[in-house]
Amino acid sequence: MIRNWLFPIIIGLLAAALAWQGTLMATPYVLMSKAMEKVGGRAPVNSFGFGEPSTTDNQPIVRPSPDLSYSSCAFDLSKGPVLVDVEPVSGHYWSVSVFDARTDVAAVRSDRETGGKPVKLALKRFSQRVPRDYEPVQLDYNKGLVLIRILVSDKADYPQIDAIRRKARCRVADTK
Amino acid sequence: MKPWRRYSICILLGLAGGSAYAVHQVRSADLGRQVTNGPWSANTDNGTKDASALSRARVALFGLLALPAKEAMYFTARTDSEGAPLNGKCTYTVSGSELDARWWSITLYKGEGWLVKNAANLWSVAGNAPERDANGNWSFTVSPKKADGVWLPTGGTPQFDLTLRTYHPQGALLNNPSSAKLPTIKKESCA
Repeated sequence: MIRNWLFPIIIGLLAAALAWQGTLMATPYVLMSKAMEKVGGRAPVNSFGFGEPSTTDNQPIVRPSPDLSYSSCAFDLSKGPVLVDVEPVSGHYWSVSVFDARTDVAAVRSDRETGGKPVKLALKRFSQRVPRDYEPVQLDYNKGLVLIRILVSDKADYPQIDAIRRKARCRVADTK
Repeated sequence: MKPWRRYSICILLGLAGGSAYAVHQVRSADLGRQVTNGPWSANTDNGTKDASALSRARVALFGLLALPAKEAMYFTARTDSEGAPLNGKCTYTVSGSELDARWWSITLYKGEGWLVKNAANLWSVAGNAPERDANGNWSFTVSPKKADGVWLPTGGTPQFDLTLRTYHPQGALLNNPSSAKLPTIKKESCA
């Protein structure tokens, strides 16, 4: 009796280990994919959407900060590299971060590094060529999210910040 | 019972059990507990290729799109400084001294990390909001009812957590977060 079940139980334990690791590994992709769908609803793929300030009625992504203004671009590199242009917002903390489909950060640039200059990033796969005046950011996946965070420490500043952030561009590069 | 049935039963039970255990592991934690400091816990490998599958899954669930530590350190507290779970019917004093970061804020969340409805529409306290005393110390109140001074409403939610965001952290906050001087959370009373 026990001998009849020994090997099936060993195989079952192996299946459990595989399912455990598989579920852990799949979770970031699934949640990132859902996030891209949600924020992608604000704007087409490869273009920026500009979120309103976070409130209880506006929480597209878990753990939003009500002190930050969020703008996001769901990108897809399957048609070529994607160029990202972000204008600086002087006097405020701001950053641009690039997340891949596995939620890893491929690049972060904030006002600490840019010295008041605009950020110009070219998101690319290994084999893709990008314009020389853009900083290349190599990704392991075609899809991901670019997120701009800007600190809104005084609500009176929001209209000015909003006008500047809307100058941000995210587009497939014309490499012809 | 035929052998293929025994194998099928064990494989199906294994797949279901393994997946269920992974979900339980991810959901039963919070943003991360690689580093603890009083009631606060934090991850140091957010968004990096070094993160384990479990750490990456937890961050995706409780703090998707978190920045790497060099850019921002996130500390989460689910208990007060005595270790009791944070309760939305209680009043707390959060106090501390200057934090070694460019900017910080403390935000109140429920569940996986959602802002809590409250009549005042207040969800966070920014680092520049509380007044400093002569030694640079500050404090504010977390409570269900309006309090004097800087106030963060609980909205009466049964349980909540506080997330301390520190942008461009330096010194111990970045390099040795388990020994950094972080705010204390003192329970004053409960309704």
